[in-house]
Amino acid sequence: MGSKHKLTYAYYPGCSLHASAKEYDISTRSVCKALRIGLAEVPDWFCCGATPAHNVDELLSLSLCAKNLSMAEEVEGDLAVACAACFSRLKTTQHHLEHNDIQRKQVEKAIAAPAPVGKKVKHLLEILARDLGLNKLEEAVTRPLTGLRVACYYGCLLTRPPGVPELDDCEDPRIMEDVLSALGAEPVQWSHRLECCGANFTLSRPGVVLQLSNAILASARAAGADCIMVACPLCHGNLDIRQQEIEEGYQTRYGMPVFYITQMVGLALGIPTPRLGLESMMVNPMPLLQEKHLI
Amino acid sequence: MKRKKMLLSNETINIGFVNKVEALSGTSVRRCFQCGKCSAGCPMASFMEHPPNRVVRLLQLGQWERILAGRSIWYCASCETCATRCPNKVNLAAIMDALRKLSWDANGPSKESFVQLANRLFIDNIRTYGRQYELRLGAVFNVKSGQFMKDLLLGPKLLSRGKLKMFHSKNRNITEIENIFTRIEEMRKKGEAP
Repeated sequence: MGSKHKLTYAYYPGCSLHASAKEYDISTRSVCKALRIGLAEVPDWFCCGATPAHNVDELLSLSLCAKNLSMAEEVEGDLAVACAACFSRLKTTQHHLEHNDIQRKQVEKAIAAPAPVGKKVKHLLEILARDLGLNKLEEAVTRPLTGLRVACYYGCLLTRPPGVPELDDCEDPRIMEDVLSALGAEPVQWSHRLECCGANFTLSRPGVVLQLSNAILASARAAGADCIMVACPLCHGNLDIRQQEIEEGYQTRYGMPVFYITQMVGLALGIPTPRLGLESMMVNPMPLLQEKHLI
Repeated sequence: MKRKKMLLSNETINIGFVNKVEALSGTSVRRCFQCGKCSAGCPMASFMEHPPNRVVRLLQLGQWERILAGRSIWYCASCETCATRCPNKVNLAAIMDALRKLSWDANGPSKESFVQLANRLFIDNIRTYGRQYELRLGAVFNVKSGQFMKDLLLGPKLLSRGKLKMFHSKNRNITEIENIFTRIEEMRKKGEAP
């Protein structure tokens, strides 16, 4: 093990990547394979609890994540996470376990095991931009995304709150733009890259999502973006799956494809589109990609 | 909105509740000086009857019934913008979690039932399956909330793109999840955990 790939990670896909965001999982695996990054999925991982668990039961949320971290200890390498929500919950849990003795003891009792804090949890963006490195990524590009104007959308959970995810600056992150520039695309300057999309209100109160996600799409369009790039299945669901509904509700037309970071990287690496799950997207990206001569 | 006159006295200020929230959230309620930065940046403020800074002010005044009776705490998206920007390092996102937990545990009389229902079903799914079963989550939500037509047109589109799984198998280590739920319940019965 470890000899074939220079970079090897334990991989926690999370629930969405096995269902509504399967194209994120497919493209993540394809990109990592192409870049010779080893991913070994943590066997039998559980749901991280996401927002609903910590909303009403913090101890349950911390215990679910601690259990996952403990199972991840069995797999070699740092823990690679694609979903922004899973990433946020796992990092938050580690933060609590490290800084709050009372909570750590409660969690240890709940999972009947020592609290695991040693595993480094990394988002894919960190792996691409820092572990692999932007230079290496740029070298691997065979089809630069020249002329593609992209709105990099971080949403809430990748960078906030201060001192927890420690992915990049809370209010002025650059990591997505850096990755995108390495691919040869052009990140646009826009206002809504850190605003909330409405998140899990998509189930309980979709009206919230329509209002907030409409503002994000409008801002991306005003900035002249051709498409949006995201790193979170929930953001993707709200901006892509609900886009038609938003267009109908607000009497407008966006036709704005929403890509996962790994789909963008995959396109630039020349990976064939079926291995990037592009056909799963609700807003068809093919006309845009053909217009820009990217496929 | 019609406002009731607020009377403040030792009897109406529930300081015990404030202490509970501070202990649960690990943050100071009293440190807030009402600059309003949290509400200025809150993406959900327009959906709330009490915007975030007012929730804290009501809390400082021990007016917890007013907070729990409304829907504000359930319309917080946990985006962490308030906690990021507070000049006094009041972790309002953690205060919101604490308020929701206290309301949830007390079967609080909140007006917002849909968000609570969604949370309940989400957590039930974890206990039953180990992971989220999205199709079931949506279907049961529609039935229990009485919105049978909600997102009905979306379902087939998602299914045809392979974005929804019809069937979902339980984790083979599902007993380990049940054990976590049970142990937490036992700890709470013994008063060892909040």
